[in-house]
Amino acid sequence: MLVLSRKVNENIVIDGRIVVKVVRVDGGIVKLGISAPSDVPVHRQEVYDEIHRNNQQAVTNGRQPVPRIPATVPQLDRPRIKRAALQPPKFIPPK
Amino acid sequence: MLKADRNEQIMKVAERIETEPLETEIENLIQMPFGLLGFEQVKKYRLLASPEEAPFLWLQTAEDATIAFLVVSPFLVLPAYQPDIPDEDAEFLGLQKPDDALIFNIVTLRENGGTVNLKGPIVVNRHTRVGKQVIPTNATKFALQHPLPVMAEACP
Repeated sequence: MLVLSRKVNENIVIDGRIVVKVVRVDGGIVKLGISAPSDVPVHRQEVYDEIHRNNQQAVTNGRQPVPRIPATVPQLDRPRIKRAALQPPKFIPPK
Repeated sequence: MLKADRNEQIMKVAERIETEPLETEIENLIQMPFGLLGFEQVKKYRLLASPEEAPFLWLQTAEDATIAFLVVSPFLVLPAYQPDIPDEDAEFLGLQKPDDALIFNIVTLRENGGTVNLKGPIVVNRHTRVGKQVIPTNATKFALQHPLPVMAEACP
């Protein structure tokens, strides 16, 4: 494993297209900023591993008998999408 | 039935499976450019809904049907489910408003029913049918193995 020393606000460039920045170091917690193209998924490893493992358990070889569950009327809640994702950045004209 | 009608129908069915009962099996292609976590190489799925299996749907590999995931609307198991979709994922999927998104969660079949993964929902843009298994920013609030509701014993 390559080990590099970096100070706060210093970067590491990977493959010319991924930039990892040390944003803050605070009592054993390192905050990293990661800029990567949209085709590069970035995940916290613990969560990634959990879901990865769960997918491996869930996969079946073709369709299987499904369980029966009580009928309920689904409530149509929607996921929250932060407004920032939905609107282009505001242009502030120079005075 | 016209292809466009069928597409429209499965999206409706997937959303309110209880209120619009199916008469025949319907299917729809879903593109997942990143695959599912651990199945990154599989990018094309068929979403299958049949009347006998409602409210469950199958997400099955388009080519050979050997890889299949049972999925269900999370709102059936947890009506208050509200995953926060990260900005990058909303942008990648082209979600302009919450209504553009359709959400399924993967079911793990177990001896006494099954569990639903609420930490890694599959979010699909209902217009483009492009989907992704996303990790919501509030994923720690949800269970990886949320139990499916159990059928009460029939009254004598």
